[in-house]
Amino acid sequence: MAKNLKGIEVAEIISDKCIGCQICVAECPVGAIEMKGGVACIDPEICIGCGKCFEVCPVEAVRFEKERREDAVTKPEETQKDIYADYRGVAVFIEVWNGGGASVSWELTGKARELAGKLQTKVIGLLAGHEVDGVAGEAIAYGCDEVHIIDDPLLKVYLSRSYGKALSDLCQKVKPEIVLVGATPVGRDLASVVATTIGTGLTADCTGLDIDEEKRLLLMTRPTFGGNIMATIFCEHHRPQMSTVRPKVFALCPRDEGRKGDVHRYPLEPPHGELPEIVEFVRHVADEGTADITRFPALVVAGKGACDPESAPMLQELADVVGGVVACSRPVVEAGFMPYERQVGQTGKTVAPKLYFAIGVSGAVQHLVGMQGSEKIVAVNSDPSAPIFNIATAGILGDYRQVVPLLIEELRKKLKGG
Amino acid sequence: MNVICCLKQVPNTAEVKIDPETNTLIRAGVESITNPYDTVALEAGLIIKDKYGGTVTAISMGPPQAEEILREAIALGADEGILLSDRAFAGADTLATSYTLAKAIQQLERPAPVDLVLCGKQAIDGDTAQVGPGIATRLGYGQFTYVAEIREIDEAKRRITVKRKVEGGFEVIRGPLPAVLTVELDLAKPRRASLPRLIYSLRTGITLWNAETIHGDPQRLGLKGSPTWVKKIFSPPLKQGGPVFDARKEPRRAVEDCLNILLADEMFAWHFLKRWER
Repeated sequence: MAKNLKGIEVAEIISDKCIGCQICVAECPVGAIEMKGGVACIDPEICIGCGKCFEVCPVEAVRFEKERREDAVTKPEETQKDIYADYRGVAVFIEVWNGGGASVSWELTGKARELAGKLQTKVIGLLAGHEVDGVAGEAIAYGCDEVHIIDDPLLKVYLSRSYGKALSDLCQKVKPEIVLVGATPVGRDLASVVATTIGTGLTADCTGLDIDEEKRLLLMTRPTFGGNIMATIFCEHHRPQMSTVRPKVFALCPRDEGRKGDVHRYPLEPPHGELPEIVEFVRHVADEGTADITRFPALVVAGKGACDPESAPMLQELADVVGGVVACSRPVVEAGFMPYERQVGQTGKTVAPKLYFAIGVSGAVQHLVGMQGSEKIVAVNSDPSAPIFNIATAGILGDYRQVVPLLIEELRKKLKGG
Repeated sequence: MNVICCLKQVPNTAEVKIDPETNTLIRAGVESITNPYDTVALEAGLIIKDKYGGTVTAISMGPPQAEEILREAIALGADEGILLSDRAFAGADTLATSYTLAKAIQQLERPAPVDLVLCGKQAIDGDTAQVGPGIATRLGYGQFTYVAEIREIDEAKRRITVKRKVEGGFEVIRGPLPAVLTVELDLAKPRRASLPRLIYSLRTGITLWNAETIHGDPQRLGLKGSPTWVKKIFSPPLKQGGPVFDARKEPRRAVEDCLNILLADEMFAWHFLKRWER
């Protein structure tokens, strides 16, 4: 064990385990820890060997020999429970889309039922909009025990400020312990406004949600570090615990018309300040650049390994043969070869087609979370260790420029024969 | 126009991986870069400055090394670089980060009112997209996320019109200044630094601000001000993949074998051969 010049047994960072969260930097009572190159680094001559960094490190990246000190650690938790006793229920923000509930909302009510079961509490729908009574009825059929509505002409269109005010007010009145929001453009814009207004924690784009039943904590798992690593995050000392979840991560809640539920209404307290006005709305037409890739039964997806404008006609031809469209992973968008609308993955779209051709896609988790619901995945890659092969139904190891034309030819034969 | 651009230094995350056997991070050769979305925010600020005059101030919260990205911003044309660096800021989640940045922007408001705060729509290491809206909410500024185009700035009426991406299309929205914009990659293509600016940037000092300078409440900064904590990290679960056929020697054979596996599922094959007709 390392000792410093004063003979104190000091702590050391195991740098390849450190995730750079900086919790130890903040907790060190003597300021002995600094970030260097994204990794914490302890100055042994300043370190007093108290072991605080060892205790707080979430990933066991601190080497420290002294026994974990038991004093002053777990005591205040009993009182914590009482503070949050008036926060109950798992709430879902019901997003209105084209006059009905957005399907991601009903995926979340399904998950909320499961979480509420573990907590033995209710599922709450939080709804803001104008003339949305029909949506409230839908929310009950899709699993809500209660729906709380703010209905006002001002909420006819989505504006960050008016919706932010409405949902923050609903959260403060209804006091749910958990609030789930779909990670749609509206949901992501709104969730941060609400969390900041209330002053609570918000975890973006979770791919897994679970409950620590004893502490009534929401365990939120999401990809981080560009999707190569999964992190489980929790929010212990603030309520509600908020999380956004992308569409198609959880299964749709079965609809039950016979379900009963209560509806509560509140007036809108108008937000402060001047609101912006929407001058124009341009709907995407399904042309070349803006096809909605989530709606096609087959996708031909170009990755970094096929990031070459010359490959485009070949991939398009394959897409035509299989009745799909061309999409891509993030590096291809960043290189400027395809528009963002075509991007699959954590920062792009989540898709679940019947057939997914991954051409030169290495398969970073960030990409996988956006497509792992696909029914059949065919991967073509020249790197035998590409992670995409681990989730592919079948793979072809080789140069896509040679493989894709053969795929087109062989598929054409099958289609003619069938 | 008094424009502030918020920049974040991030690891080039595509290169950070986890070693599946030891469950440790492989960082060898991972470089630090300016978050690519933030470079677009900076470019947007510089375009506004070229067109309307005024100043562009680049700010960043981070460890001392984050000074590098502010120097780069000055080389590209920013007037000043301010680094928010303090032990007390360490371990901040998005709530504490937006608090710190908002407090710094309030300091910048003192000499002259701020017109615009520009941020990337998200950072590539965390992908949360929460800090921009957090800043807007704290400062009471207008909030425009996913901005793909700045259409017009009416300085006299203090109005901005932007085109932003929304579900199913675009909207053009007009609102009062000051405002926070979070920008998409296709808003602008970042310029390159000129040689004289590059030399200038190396000679210019970066302003260093700490918790005291921004009058930050210690309870709301860094780890103490962060409601969310990382509990653990782990490798994403590996699924068992199907067979992989080597096309390097017998390409046609590999393609045939692969398609046979694919079409072995009769229901799937039926749908496929009917070209997904119902």
